[in-house]
Amino acid sequence: MQNEIAKSAGEIPVSEAVRYNESLHQDTTAKLFLVSSITYFFIVGIVALMIAAKFVWPELLGTVQYLTYGRLRPLHVNGMLFGWLLAADMGLMYYVVPRLCGVKLWSEKLGIATAALWNFIILGAVVSTIMGWNQGWEYAELPMFLDVLVVVAWIMFGANIFMTVAIRKYTQMYVTIWYCLGTILWTAFVYLTGNFAALFATGVNQANLNWMYVHNAVGLIFTPVGLAIAYYFIPKTSNSPLHSHKLSMIGFWSLAFVYVWTGAHHMLHGPISQWLQTIAIVFSVMLLVPVWAVVYNFFATMRGQWDQMRDNVPLKFLMTGVIFYLLTCFQGPMHSLRSVNAIVSKTDWIPGHAHMAVLGAFSFFAIAGCYYVVPKIFRRNLFSDSLANWSFWLFLIGGVGFFVTLWLGGFWQGWQWNNPAIPFIDTVVALKPVWIVRFFSGIFMFGGIVAFAYNILATMLGSSGNESSKMAAATA
Amino acid sequence: MLRKADYSAPIFVAAALFMFFVGGLLTTVVPPIVDKSWARPFDNSDPAKGVTGKLQPYTEQQLKGRNVYVREGCWYCHTQQTRTLLADTKRSGWRGVDAPVSTPDEFVYDSPHLFGTKRTGPDLSRVGGKYDEQWHRAHFRNPRDLVPGSIMPPYPWIADNEEEFQAVVAYLQTLGRAKNWRPDNDYER
Repeated sequence: MQNEIAKSAGEIPVSEAVRYNESLHQDTTAKLFLVSSITYFFIVGIVALMIAAKFVWPELLGTVQYLTYGRLRPLHVNGMLFGWLLAADMGLMYYVVPRLCGVKLWSEKLGIATAALWNFIILGAVVSTIMGWNQGWEYAELPMFLDVLVVVAWIMFGANIFMTVAIRKYTQMYVTIWYCLGTILWTAFVYLTGNFAALFATGVNQANLNWMYVHNAVGLIFTPVGLAIAYYFIPKTSNSPLHSHKLSMIGFWSLAFVYVWTGAHHMLHGPISQWLQTIAIVFSVMLLVPVWAVVYNFFATMRGQWDQMRDNVPLKFLMTGVIFYLLTCFQGPMHSLRSVNAIVSKTDWIPGHAHMAVLGAFSFFAIAGCYYVVPKIFRRNLFSDSLANWSFWLFLIGGVGFFVTLWLGGFWQGWQWNNPAIPFIDTVVALKPVWIVRFFSGIFMFGGIVAFAYNILATMLGSSGNESSKMAAATA
Repeated sequence: MLRKADYSAPIFVAAALFMFFVGGLLTTVVPPIVDKSWARPFDNSDPAKGVTGKLQPYTEQQLKGRNVYVREGCWYCHTQQTRTLLADTKRSGWRGVDAPVSTPDEFVYDSPHLFGTKRTGPDLSRVGGKYDEQWHRAHFRNPRDLVPGSIMPPYPWIADNEEEFQAVVAYLQTLGRAKNWRPDNDYER
């Protein structure tokens, strides 16, 4: 077994796949997606701070109908998920897939049209969430006409990537390509289930479809495309071959099989059939298999290379993201157990968990990708390595502050709820310190966004970054 | 076998979709077929079988109120499920009476469903009949006047819009009322 893994380890060195003429690639689509996604990251980051502030100062902007928590929360969630993260992931795929296939993107024109349509969708989402045109389903709040446009844009994205893969020069597909193709296929069905099939059901049946979508929006959209990015950029930025091809296969195919079963764990103890809850729990625990396979593979790739973490900022984001991925995917199976769920379900633990997945793991991967890709496609040096390092520490401090206080606060809240002698309002007042820490952690994270966005903007605009990078290298 | 999927996109696609659809179909299409209570409205007139009552479809006014509830995102902070936890039945209870656990047959007319995932404010699955109209009006104007320490936003534009306000209250008073769970029938209007 050991031998086999060792043998397959060197099988597809990523560097070989990219021994290719860089000038082949036009990368206009990638540029458009990355620039717009980082812009939304900044704008929606402000919204994030506003809603975190509302927990501490409930009167803040309270009498403006369009700026209440109920309007801004869907704007925050949709803006971050689809405006920032998914768009950034798509932009990175437009960069990575052609390079792994050894050909240029199938159609740059189609890509540009996709970027334009995507931006229209996000602007539509901003307007509709603020106006309260809300379908009433979590993660699927957007009105029907935007849902239809999302499907169209996804088909345009999928067609471009699949055609690029179809005309590839390298016959063997690297792991990143599997995850990317898997994302495109599964997302199509997951999205249709959550936004269209759910229309034909009511009550618990509809909730079951909704949770299948909500859970797999993370599990079969952001997880595989995030891992696609990690599988490409960890070997790339550390200049080390992936540890094991076989292990990556185990990780991929077990993810493909296990994830989709778990939707009902959102309603543990709730009004949904007990047997379905049990199935969801069993498969939730089985999720440890794909997660640990992937995480072990990344750690083993880094064996002997950890010293690079000292001054390689993209690698810092990537490996920290891997650790957050490991942690969040340990929480998931654990709070799917009935006994743990009875404490943490519906508490502030849940946003702590969700943010660690989407911000701590997958956004960290995307940020690393942006830091690596943007200088390459704009053919300039990164404006400032030192500022990039600052953005990492701001994100890390803010992130850990946010996650840890919400887990502890969530557990505490859950224990209070389970003692009916404590009036509900007392459990709200008790959480105030937690929400204050959450708000200030948010300020750190927003500082990270500002440093990141400014660095990328300055790189694009071609401010001479040479000196400051040298200075950072000298002081590092 | 899966090694072939490394080299052939069609084999890859077939395998990826097959894996997905096994779990996808078994957990979304099959459950409502197996478990009939997901689609059969609650109806029990026999006290020997437990709490009695009958689930009524929403009236036009109640639906209007429900739409306001959806529009304002009330469901982001208020769940609508009394879970199979002792604490939930106590917290959803009222004046010393424990609330019955929520069952699928109470939600058959709900679309969008509003079970919720986050409980920032109290659960509302049995709130129907607990507070009268006056209480709701004052509470919408400024929740902190009635519940010091509350972090719910004020909703003066609901309290001041008579039609919307009446509709929302009409909707709220239906919550949990399919089951006639209060022995003294002491529901507020």
